[in-house]
Amino acid sequence: MAVPARALLSDLPTGHEFPPSTFELTQDYVDEYLAATNDRNDIYKDTGLAPPLAVAARALGTLLDVIELPAGSLHTGQEVEMKAGVPVPSALELAGRLARRSMRAGLMIVVLEFHVSLMDQNAPALAGKTTLMMPQGGVG
Amino acid sequence: MQEIAPVAKQLSQEQVQQYADAANDHNPIHIDEAFAATTPFGGTIAHGMLVLASISEMMAASLGEVWLRGGKLKVRFKAPAKTSDALSTSAAALEDGRYAIECKNENGEVLISGTCAVPLHG
Repeated sequence: MAVPARALLSDLPTGHEFPPSTFELTQDYVDEYLAATNDRNDIYKDTGLAPPLAVAARALGTLLDVIELPAGSLHTGQEVEMKAGVPVPSALELAGRLARRSMRAGLMIVVLEFHVSLMDQNAPALAGKTTLMMPQGGVG
Repeated sequence: MQEIAPVAKQLSQEQVQQYADAANDHNPIHIDEAFAATTPFGGTIAHGMLVLASISEMMAASLGEVWLRGGKLKVRFKAPAKTSDALSTSAAALEDGRYAIECKNENGEVLISGTCAVPLHG
């Protein structure tokens, strides 16, 4: 199967909606995330729920499957709102859009909004907003 | 309001690589030391979401399940964290029920600032 080309984020227009996608939040991924962040809280095992930012990071990683960030892009702001606990494992649906883009001092500011839903409950789980600053037209 | 205990963390390039793999974010600014040396940062920097994870860890440790089910955060990344930085996070209760949060490096430089909140009921 052909791998679809990734779109350069700085080339996409305001309002661009990324194709909805699904992903599995697996125990292996959560374990890898907790090891990488060196988070030793027992609360995740005790509750069976995922760390909120593990869900957000997985959602952003899924968006990075279809978009390419120009080299030198910087993450300048982040909002995350949990709408529900996310059990591990879970099947999740992701919807995202390019909510805003603007120029400041020769740099492009892009805001991505994304929503993650629990597929088995058809219920919202997380809403996020990511602000990125990137050189205009730079490709790495 | 619940008091929030601070968290201290030590970053490393190995950890940043591990995070890049876990999060599927292989931006060279984080993992390619030769590339990063040519940037204004002069070296690799940690993913913002990796640094931010220390804030969520702090909130989860003190607030427990309510953070996992209904936590909210809104932050600005004020400065990049070098991959060798020692991080310290803190939270202070605000009158409106939110927490003002910060993450600093070992030099006292603010890397992240913003607010966190949890539902007041339930």
